[in-house]
Amino acid sequence: MRVLLIEDEQRLAENIAAALRETGFAVDHAPDGEEGSHLAEQDVYDTIVLDLMLPGKSGQRVLQDLRRKRLHTPVLILTAQEGKDSIVNLLNAGADDYLGKPFDLGELLARIKALIRRAKGVATPVLKVSDVELNTVQQTVRRRGKFLDLSPTEYRILEYLIHRPRAVVSQQELLEHLYDFDWEHHSNVIEAHISNLRRKLNVAGAEPLIETLRHRGYRLREQGDAL
Amino acid sequence: MTGSISITRRLIVTVLVLELLSAVALIGAITVHERHVQLEAFDASLIASAQTLMGAVQDAEDEGDNVALDIREVQLPEDAAFRVEDEKGRVLGSKGEPPVWKTPTSASNAYRDVEIRGRAYRFLLVHGVRVVDAGKADGGVRHGITVIYGTPVGRVWHEVFEAIRFFAIATAILLGLTAAVMVWLVRKGLSPVYELAREAEHISSSNWHFDAPVSAQRTAELKPLVSALEAALARLQGSFEQQRRFTNDAAHELKTDVAIVKSSLQLLAMRTRTPEEYSRGLLCGLNDFSRLEDTVTKLLTLARLESHTENAASGAPVWSCSLRDAVEDAVNQIKALAELKAIDVQTEFAADARVPLDSRDALLLCSNVLLNAVQHSPEGSTICIALTVNEDKVRLTVRDRGEGISDQDRAHIFEPFYRGDPSRSRKSGGTGLGLSICKAICERVGGEIEIANNASGGALVTVALPAEPSPEGSPLPASLKVQSPYSQRRQ
Repeated sequence: MRVLLIEDEQRLAENIAAALRETGFAVDHAPDGEEGSHLAEQDVYDTIVLDLMLPGKSGQRVLQDLRRKRLHTPVLILTAQEGKDSIVNLLNAGADDYLGKPFDLGELLARIKALIRRAKGVATPVLKVSDVELNTVQQTVRRRGKFLDLSPTEYRILEYLIHRPRAVVSQQELLEHLYDFDWEHHSNVIEAHISNLRRKLNVAGAEPLIETLRHRGYRLREQGDAL
Repeated sequence: MTGSISITRRLIVTVLVLELLSAVALIGAITVHERHVQLEAFDASLIASAQTLMGAVQDAEDEGDNVALDIREVQLPEDAAFRVEDEKGRVLGSKGEPPVWKTPTSASNAYRDVEIRGRAYRFLLVHGVRVVDAGKADGGVRHGITVIYGTPVGRVWHEVFEAIRFFAIATAILLGLTAAVMVWLVRKGLSPVYELAREAEHISSSNWHFDAPVSAQRTAELKPLVSALEAALARLQGSFEQQRRFTNDAAHELKTDVAIVKSSLQLLAMRTRTPEEYSRGLLCGLNDFSRLEDTVTKLLTLARLESHTENAASGAPVWSCSLRDAVEDAVNQIKALAELKAIDVQTEFAADARVPLDSRDALLLCSNVLLNAVQHSPEGSTICIALTVNEDKVRLTVRDRGEGISDQDRAHIFEPFYRGDPSRSRKSGGTGLGLSICKAICERVGGEIEIANNASGGALVTVALPAEPSPEGSPLPASLKVQSPYSQRRQ
């Protein structure tokens, strides 16, 4: 999952980005409204954390421009501004959630996860596809009740695929949502991770879960799908 | 409510009193005039009656060519009194008790006021000539007749009183009518005042909207009040807004700082880390905390200075210090930071003066102005500090070679938290309170601080402070020179 953080307070941005990365998100940081708006309009983010008081372009304008372009990336507003009116205005302008400064870092992470889940049409933190169970809070994966030991990247790939069951996900899309711009990435990295993931998911007596569609990408098969 | 004055009542009473006074004066004048007219008429009727009596003197038709009075045809008032005499003093006829009264026959009509049995009478004496047998050759016999005739003057006064009564009643009716019309008119005339009051009633600290009623705007007497109200409201609203903005900005600043500290610590606590990670995280958290502390200290300083501004009038300042010492201390403090940017700080002290400031505040003022200059100076440039004394003013100027100041920033640069950027980004350094603190320090002692652009580029900050008369005692010992807590941290 890839998060865009638009925040001009350098230290705060550093902390939030570090926390998100430690949780397994890819994070891009924009220190002002203009850059934030530009990045957000790439439409590669699973959620956007937006500060209101920004140099260049206010958070409110960034949000309005994003929604005007019919981009529905979930947006969580971070603000130190007072007043119920501004909250109502922001929610009406298309914000999905709101957190006042000073906030709890754990709460921010939980809200970001919830926003992503909801945006992908999932209501609970435990996701299930056929006999695979993925707990987004504990970041654990079980198949047929057995815990699997996945690397952080493997977990993130699986998490992303589980969020989009039966959809064909291209390597490009995986790259965009799993890595931030700071990362050196090549498509064969994805191939290597997918291959490892397949191996670890391979439990005796179970069907292969990840399907490769040549030149198109990967797909998570649900139970009952024909091979 | 005691002591309240009603304009309506006062106006009406004034008008009525004036009206009453003029009515009284008018009645007085009418009385005098009426009396005069009535008296003339009375005298004329006296003359007419006397002449009638004179006409009633006829030939007695006797041997001696005498005359007699025949009043059968003469109609006289019942209370009239008269006596008709001939030249020999013979009474031809009389009625009542006319006074005995001798005058030369040559004299014309004479009047006399007499009181008879408690009644005031006015008598007229008329001399006349009656000729008996005028047709005879000798021209007849001439008789000098004297008529004394009088009637009571009471009637004159009766007429005068009647006239007065008529005017008094008319005046009373007029006063009543005037009062009623006045009440209505004044109420109507004052209605813009009530409308204005009703509109003003809606004003509160949450609702500043004031739309002066058209009626009040059109009333010449209310126009100054309306504009004064509007101006006062605008000023009040301005200071309220400023206060609210300050509170909001302070809250924003503090919340952001707290958010940073909190997130730093929570990030550290997210999972178990190595001792190196912990110590690095703690250092970061400590730095973040220093920033929060800095903001709090500056806010408290500003609050202290501003509360002192309110008390400044209550007494003469107890403190005084040398401004030159303060500038030198500030230069020493800033040296490290200036060297980091290879900035040359030049000082030029033409004189020294004592200023009515606590040495701590003087140092704070100088170091904030200097810090601002260093922050806005490009690397390797020069900052010029000059101190001049002009009569009772001491002037400190700090010149930098930075980007200068825009007109828009100039208007707000001394407002708390103003950074010339809506985001309040701290990239330029500082909390945006430094110059506000400078301004508060200056204003507290009746000084001024200004910022302008240099003709040759860069900004020019001018601090003007009242200079105290030449120092009486020795300068403050060095141990009293307090170091500013902020500058220490920056080093």
